[in-house]
Formats: sequence, structure tokens, C-alpha cells
Amino acid sequence: MTEKLLVILQIAGRRCALSALDVRSVIETTAITPVPRAPAWIAGITALRSQALTVIDCRRAIGVAGDWPTDHRAAVVSEGGHSYALLVDGIEDITTAAGEAGQVPGGFGAEWSRVAVGMIETMAGPALLIDLPALLAGPEAARHEIEAAA
Amino acid sequence: MDDLLAEFIAETREMLEATGGELVAWEAEPADRARLDAIFRFVHTVKGNCGFFDFPRLASLSHAAEDALADCRAGRREADEALVTGVLAIIDRIAEMVDAIEAGETFPEGGDEALIAGLDVSRGTLGEATSDPAIGLQNVQLPANEEATTFARRADAQRTIRLPVELLDRVMSGVSDMVLARNDLAHRLRQAGNQPTIDGPFERLTTILSDVRDAITRMRMQRIETLFGALPRLVRDLSAELGKQVMVDLDGGDVELDREMIETIRDPLTHIIRNAIDHGIEKPSARLAQGKREIGLLAIAARQSGNTISIVLADDGRGLDEERIAAKAVATGLVTAAERASMSRDKILNLIFEPGFSTAETVSNVSGRGVGLDVVRQNLEKVGGTIKVGSIPGEGTTFTLQIPLTLSIIAGLTVEVAGHRFAIPQSYVEEIVQGSARALDLTRLGETALVTFRGTRVPCLMLGEVLGLDGSEAAASEPTLVMLRLASGDLFALAVEGIHNHGDLVVKPLAPAVMKSGLYAGSTLLDDGTPVLLLDVANIAAQHALVSDTRTRVLGPQADAAEAAADSASRAMLFTDFTGRRCAVRLELVQRIETAPVAAIDRSAARPRVVIDGLILPLIGLPEGPLAQTRVRLLRLSDGACELLYAVREVEDAVELTDALAPVPEDPLAEAMTLIGGSPATLIDAHELFARHGEAPQLAERPRCTLPDGEWARAILAPLVTAAGYDIVTPAEAGPSAIGILFEDVFEVAETLGRPLPARVIRLRDQPEAPAGSETIYRYDREGLLAALAAAARAPAMGEAA
Repeated sequence: MTEKLLVILQIAGRRCALSALDVRSVIETTAITPVPRAPAWIAGITALRSQALTVIDCRRAIGVAGDWPTDHRAAVVSEGGHSYALLVDGIEDITTAAGEAGQVPGGFGAEWSRVAVGMIETMAGPALLIDLPALLAGPEAARHEIEAAA
Repeated sequence: MDDLLAEFIAETREMLEATGGELVAWEAEPADRARLDAIFRFVHTVKGNCGFFDFPRLASLSHAAEDALADCRAGRREADEALVTGVLAIIDRIAEMVDAIEAGETFPEGGDEALIAGLDVSRGTLGEATSDPAIGLQNVQLPANEEATTFARRADAQRTIRLPVELLDRVMSGVSDMVLARNDLAHRLRQAGNQPTIDGPFERLTTILSDVRDAITRMRMQRIETLFGALPRLVRDLSAELGKQVMVDLDGGDVELDREMIETIRDPLTHIIRNAIDHGIEKPSARLAQGKREIGLLAIAARQSGNTISIVLADDGRGLDEERIAAKAVATGLVTAAERASMSRDKILNLIFEPGFSTAETVSNVSGRGVGLDVVRQNLEKVGGTIKVGSIPGEGTTFTLQIPLTLSIIAGLTVEVAGHRFAIPQSYVEEIVQGSARALDLTRLGETALVTFRGTRVPCLMLGEVLGLDGSEAAASEPTLVMLRLASGDLFALAVEGIHNHGDLVVKPLAPAVMKSGLYAGSTLLDDGTPVLLLDVANIAAQHALVSDTRTRVLGPQADAAEAAADSASRAMLFTDFTGRRCAVRLELVQRIETAPVAAIDRSAARPRVVIDGLILPLIGLPEGPLAQTRVRLLRLSDGACELLYAVREVEDAVELTDALAPVPEDPLAEAMTLIGGSPATLIDAHELFARHGEAPQLAERPRCTLPDGEWARAILAPLVTAAGYDIVTPAEAGPSAIGILFEDVFEVAETLGRPLPARVIRLRDQPEAPAGSETIYRYDREGLLAALAAAARAPAMGEAA
């Protein structure tokens, strides 16, 4: 088995990991055009070369409140034919996974569990492996699930 | 192996589409050998291909059809309706099986035998053992020459290659990116100023890029034939089901359309055809009773005009019943009886596209499926198309669909509000109005706002409020209104703070989370690389309940009047002026296009002038330096009283002003900027032009002139005088201002005798040399004569005073 490469990010003060295969590039975020009337977790759109990227504020997309620093760089990912730039606290490193993602007893908390595949051990320590589609569905998705369950 | 299978499926599909039309044509004309051969070839190919794969059921079906058709080809059997139906059923089954193979499913067992038996039963009395494969094989052997022609035809049709659609999309988006990169570069070059060494190659790049873009756009195009191909079959099946006889006439199959667009219009088109056959075309007996041919005609034609395709579906059925539609509309509360009385027939007919409208008395299983024409219209509007209906009672109904050529590159307008920029598709923009809130009569009524536009109160949306942005106070008192006309005919104003520019926008899809807001249709990049959002005008209007039926009708008559006014004022002459600027001038102003020699231009005075038809007209538009060419093209403009000439480098064409006009406040001579044929052009402000350069006509009428008697004057002098702009009159008709041309000797005699002489005279002499002190002109001194005539024409008032 080839070693799984991970991009380590800080989201809302937590160490998170994205599969390096999902991350197409890391860009400097320049001008972000805000999108009026869009959900708060959509920071706006920005241009990467001639492509338009939807800028996602990951902290708000997960639904964790707080005032966090924002890295001037963003991770570019693709999902469902659309490209997104992810705003995070910081982009730390690329490292290799030291095992498969697993669950921990007690879970990660409602918001985090929705966007997490599980805990993964990396060379940089344990990190939460992010489920990209779930993250990009936004915090509304969680509410719908709860409503549907009720 | 998978590739082979995909190839097999694709080829079978393609042939299925092509064969659908052939089958129906063949049924109508069983003796048509070419059709029979085409269908035979199809089943034969399917059978042959099945040999490569393990598809025993496909093989046996195609084999049975091939056998039956082979009998026809060999003359052992008549091609009757039962046979056609049987073969059609088998071809349908083949199509279903191919679908299942592609989806990787197993096709439900059974049913094949019945289909095969269906062919055999109808074989009637010919008791030959057709299941013997030997006969089938024998008939497969085409005569050598026939085979050759077949191959030739195939080679002809096969000068195409099959490409994955994704690849095309990738190339397309690559080219779109190149256009954006070019725009960015252009922007930077403009900032850097003129750089001749770069500008040339850059121009070339621009030209090449636009060529490539055109070609790529065409690559994504599909002939509408692919859509039309399935229609004869559809019409046949429907008419058989409904007991009607319908002939379909297709035209314009070579018109090309973006393949996405073809998919979009497939359902609407099918729906209208169903409607036409079900409700439009009468039963054969009813048709005969009305003196029509018993076979109904459904004509479907596609035409391209500019950036839109129009598809016209016309049937020769009973036509739409205005009274019934009106009664239904009143009954369902779409209109009131009073409103109905004031509506034109056209307006009433077009009510059939309103939501919840269906006149069918009995819901048949063909067209009464709960999906109305309102859905058809909605689907077309989604892609920026429109639909209209017209009908003559007893003679038929015509549906006209207008659809844009492509989705991905559209003309758009950039507007600004509260520091944000947004793009609006040009197709919605009717007009741009600028002025103070007072002049526009901007009134706030509760939460809504109204403006008065051409005497009508039009709802007005504040874009800032729609988007939840806070605009500045100044903007509220001096709004710029973008008048937007929805496909349904509703007009509303969108107040913005500024208009930026027009241009082709490469529209990119937005992420679903952004689309959910319902305000945006896509995103695009400006020249400087800033992304902007494209507003979803139709949806914004719908969210604010501006697409109500009542308003459409209240606006109706005014809208018609405005359209009529717009029609008459919407043509312009397109030209390039001497600074290389692309300009347009309203066509009504253009009297004609003159060509004058440069020598005729008098540039001695402060304003250049030209003598044309004896009139001295002011000339504008000349470059500073001397002219390179010897002749110059002049637009002769008239405001009814004044005339002036506009020198142009090149006259292009008379065009329609279809795009919106954006005001250009910084250039007083420009009425507006607009898009003509996709490129910007400056529309000349006629008012300003005539205010600055127009002159009161120097000659309200052509000056008159009397000539001396004699053959010389009539044959030689008269043409010259006429060419100088004079009317030649007899002494009796000559008014006090007329000029008399007299020979010197006649003049002397008259003067001596005290005879009445014209107030102003030009005296001619016979000798080239002028005697001292004589105010005469030698009769062959052309220049002198013309100068004297011109001088006399220029000062008529003096003559009258004298």
C-alpha cells in the first residue's frame, strides 16, 4: 500500500487533515468578491487564473463559532465539478498517514462528527480527517438531518 | 473490450436515430427501395455486430427482422402496415436492449418470441421457410455495384469522428479561459499605453482567438437534425394512436445548435407536437368535410438568425379557438371579463402559456399529462428562450420558439451597487434610463417602489435592497435604471448606482450552495480578472412577484406601443469613421450615401464644406491631415430642415439596434454605446450633431436660372447649369431671385433699350480674352461659370435686396 499523503490544516484551532489527492493547490487569497444573500459560510468568489472559485470559510461551514485567525492562503479543492477555496486558520504541512481513519470513543461532537471521516494518526500527530462533501454541504445540512430525524 | 462495446452501443444508437425517419418514409412508400435497403442495413449490421458479443436475443430479433425485410427485397413479400409495425416493434426492442446493455442491467426475459411471431403471422400465405438462415445469408450478399454505392454513401456520411463530449467541454473551457486571459492582457496593455511593437501581434492574437472560439463553439454544435430525426416516428406513432393522418415536413435540419440546448428543447418540442396532433389536426373525415386534404400537415422549420435560432411549428388544423380560450381564462380567473374585452386576439391566444391553463375537454393519454404549455414556456425561459403562438381559425396554428445559440458565452452588462459589481444578461435589458428621482417620478409605496417610464408606472426594484446591500444616499436620488423585459413581457426597473460596460461574458456555473440563493445564474470574470456574479433576472423578478398576470395585461397596450415605437426607431447605419471608431447613426437621418471626390471638399473655411447637387453642405468627420484616397464616402444626414455630411472611412451596413443603449455622458456627440453584431459601436447623438454642425438650409429651393435662346444654350449650357444645382426656367416663370444668363451683346442691347432684366445676371462673351472692364465670362470658361453660379447661389438674399 502506498503511503497516504495528507495536508494538515488548522480549522477552528483543531488539527485537521485533507487527503492530498483532494487538494489541487494552495493559493494566496487575493480579492474575494462577496456574494450577497448567500449563507454566511460562503465567503465569496475569487478567481484562480480564469476560473471562479467559491470561497468557503471552513469554521462557519462546520458550524463552530469563534474568532479565529485566517491564513492568507487557501486550499483549492474540487467537488461535484465545482472548485472551492477553503479558508482555514492555517495550512501547516503535508505529511503521511500512519494508519487508517478510525473512530474514537465518545465521538467528536455533533458539528465535527458531521464533517469528519474519523481520527487519523499522522507523522505530525493525530488529526481529524475531513469529509469534503460533508464540509461543502454547509451547516444547514446538519440541521436538515436533525429535522429529518425528528 | 469495453471500448468495443461502447462503440457498438454508440453506433447502434446513431443508426436507430437515423432509421426512425426512414421507416416511416418507407411505410408511406413501400416500393421505395432505398429506404428498405437502409432499414435492412441497420438490422443486418446489428445482427453482424452481435456476433462479436454474446447477445443471443439481440441476434435473434435482428435476424428475424432481417429475414422479413430480405423477403421484401427479394419481392417475395409486400411491405404492408403489419410488417412495418412488426419491424418497428423489433427495432424498439433492440433500442431498449441496447439501453439495458449500456446500463449493465439484464433485460427482462420473454416477449421476444411474440415479436418474432408478429412478423411471421403477417407473412401470410407465403409459406417459405424463412427461418432457414441460408436464405437470410443469401440476401445479405449485395450485388457488387450496390455494395459499392453503399460504401460510397457511408464514406460520405462518415467523414466525422466520434469524440467524448468531456473532451470537447475541456477544449471549450480552455478557449474560454484564453478569451479571459486575452481580456486581462488587453486591460494591462491599455494601462501601459500605446506600444506599437506589441499592439500589432496582440491584434493578431485577438483575431486568431476569436476565430478559434468560433470554431470551438461550432464543435459543440449539433445539427438540429439529431432532434428532427426522431420526429417522423413520433408523429407517426401519435397519429396512428389518435386515428389521424399527419404528414410531417421538416426543414432546416442543418441548422446547428449547442448540444446542451438541443437537449433542453427536446421535451418542449415533443410537447408541442403532441398538442398539435392531439388538439390541432382534425380527424380525416372532419378535414374532408371542411374541404381540406385528409392528411394533415405539420411543418417544422428551424432557422438561424444572428445569435438566436427560431423554430416554427405550424399545423394546418382547426386553429386555436379564441372564444374558448378566453372563456376558460375568465372561468379560471386568469383575466376578468372586462380585461378580456380589451384584449387582442393575439394576447388571448398567448394565455395558453399561463400556468394552470389547459383547454382540452377530454384528457387524452397523449397530451393531457398534467404538463401544460406553461411548463414548456418555463423550460424555454430557463435558457433565455421565448415562445409565442399565432393562429388563424380553421387554417392552423403556428408556434414560434426563439432560443439562444449557446449558453456559455453571452452578451452582458456590468452594473454597480454599493461597491459591488454584478452582470446582467443583455437579452433582458430593454433600455437604460438615467435621471433624478424626481424626473423618473420614483415613488415609494409601502415596501415597493414605482417609476414612470414612457407614461407607465413600472415596478422598480432597488438592487441594493434585493441583495441586502446598503447603497449610498446620493445614488438613491440619482439612480440609474436598467429596464428589464422578461420573456413573459413583464417590464420592471432595476435601480443601480452605475453602469460599467458591455461585453461578452464567459459564464461559469456557480457552486450549488450559491445557486440556492436564487439570485445568481453564474459567475464571470471581468477584464481585470475580478470575478462577478451574473444576476438571475427571471428568478429575482419571480421572487418579488413581478411576473404576475395582471401586470402583464395592464402593461400590454403600452408595451405594444413602445414596441412599435422601438421598431420604427431601431435601425441604424453602421460605419467606421476616420478615427477608426465604429459608429452608428439612426437610419432615418441618413438620406443617402454620397461619394465625392476629395477635390470637391473645400477646406479653406473654418468648417469644411462640400458642394453636392449644387448645395453647399457642412462636412464633419474629416481627419486632421490630408486624405490619402481620392474619393471619400459621405453620409448625407438630414433632420428635415438642415443637412450635413459625415465623412466616413467605410460604410458597413444598415443594422437593427437590438441591444440596449448605454448612455455615454462623457462624450456629448454620442447618444449611447450599444452592441452591434457583438462589438460595441457608438450611436451618434443626432440632436447634438445638428445643434453643433447643422446649418439652416442655405437654399430652401433650388435656385432658378434663365438661359439665352438658341441651340448652344439648350444643349451645352443647360446641363452644366443643372449640374450646378439650378432649375432652368423660362423668363415668364422666373421670379425676382432668378439668375439670368445672357450673352454680352443681348445684355447690352437690353440695357440700352431699357428692357426689364433679371435682377442678377451672368454675362457671357464669345471671345476667350476679356475686354478691359468687362464683367463677362467666356462661354467655355467652365470654372469661371461654375464659380459665378455658386457665388450667386450662395447669396440669394443679396440678389433679392438688389
